[in-house]
Amino acid sequence: MTNTRPGSYVVHTATFEGPLDQLLQLAQQGQVDLETIPLAEIAAEYLAHSRRAFDVEEATETLWMLAALIELKARALLPHPPPVEEPPAEEPGDLQELLEERLATYRVFKDVATALRALESYQQRVFLHPPEEPAGPLLSGVALADLFRAFQEVLARVPDRVEEVPPQSITVAEQMAAVLALLADGVEGVPFEALFRAAATRLEIVVTFLALLELIRLMRVRVVQDATFGAIRVYGRAARDGGGQTGGAGDD
Amino acid sequence: MDAPLGTEGVRPEEPGMIELEQAAGDAARLHERDARVRETARAIECILLVSGGPVRVEQLVDAAQVPPEIVVAAVEILMQEYAARGLEIQTVAGGYQLATRPDHAEVVQRFLGAAGREPLTQATLETLAIVAYRQPITRPELEAVRGVRSEYVLERLEERRLIRVVGRKATVGRPILYATTEGFLRYFGLRDLADLPPMAAFGMIHPAAPEE
Repeated sequence: MTNTRPGSYVVHTATFEGPLDQLLQLAQQGQVDLETIPLAEIAAEYLAHSRRAFDVEEATETLWMLAALIELKARALLPHPPPVEEPPAEEPGDLQELLEERLATYRVFKDVATALRALESYQQRVFLHPPEEPAGPLLSGVALADLFRAFQEVLARVPDRVEEVPPQSITVAEQMAAVLALLADGVEGVPFEALFRAAATRLEIVVTFLALLELIRLMRVRVVQDATFGAIRVYGRAARDGGGQTGGAGDD
Repeated sequence: MDAPLGTEGVRPEEPGMIELEQAAGDAARLHERDARVRETARAIECILLVSGGPVRVEQLVDAAQVPPEIVVAAVEILMQEYAARGLEIQTVAGGYQLATRPDHAEVVQRFLGAAGREPLTQATLETLAIVAYRQPITRPELEAVRGVRSEYVLERLEERRLIRVVGRKATVGRPILYATTEGFLRYFGLRDLADLPPMAAFGMIHPAAPEE
């Protein structure tokens, strides 16, 4: 049940070859000994891979899966209490039946998913007034990739030097407040780069970017790019409670 | 306005006259109701335009200050009138909404400079289908059907406001229960959950579904 897209990252190690989600699944089922899998190498390899072909969606999933693997491995490396008694294996006949039943159920849902897909594609071609207000994040003309590219440009300004871990860490909440304060003054908006202090450290830039993403999610800012590869401007928005009076799509 | 004071009892009317007057009164009332419905229809049209989302009958009743049956009749008129227009009135999430017809999606997108919308991934859609038909459902129950861990997909669905936490199941570990949101109904243009595509009975063999 793994979904491997063409060009997506494949793990190559001495003991395992295949997509990362499969590795995670096998590790979760205990079918792969994580102690033999060098996770640091996989992470480094994925980083190299993502420099060639970057996909935000894939990167997000990969990050999540690697984190899950690290957690599993950390648990495996810790001394653990005696193993819990395995429940007695089920009769092969029952198992067969169970599997078939499960497959049948799954197929039914696959069918309704197809029906829902048709409804989705109808409704995706339908527009309301005001366009997209309650549903979409307020990105106009900006794809996530554009935002990410701009982020990388800012990040590239920082000299690549080893840093000491600052004694006080910056939190996303702090940076959210800082970004909002910056946007509070003008209706003019602020160029994307101005969100980051010239002397900002890598950590500060990353946290500020996370803060910006969070503000977009909370619909507190609008991000506008007028031309492809053009300058990205960020505008503040008044705080709103809920999604207006239209009944609120799960605003709770 | 009719039946002026003092005329009653003074001069006995012929029966035919009374019937005629009643018929005239009925016609006048009908005419009045018709005018009221049409005016309400115009007002509702305005509300649907500015709301940008589904509006329930109760909300229309409150705003237009007319009884529900007038609202319903008015919406029917609007729906007929819009049959030949670029806009349509959809029945979504328990309300009515004014929306562009999908036939003109390309033109609208070109005008807005908006990119086509990203459909849900197959895994996300399947997960959402299971939640929709089995709600409220816990993650272990969901995973039993899908056969894979579904933490990430559930998180994404919650983030997109298509599902939400509605409580905890009263079993061991008190697992979180998920259900679909009103946003889910809007996303698929469904009137309510009963409007979901019918699901084949469990274990039923699908003759026209060749699976690899």
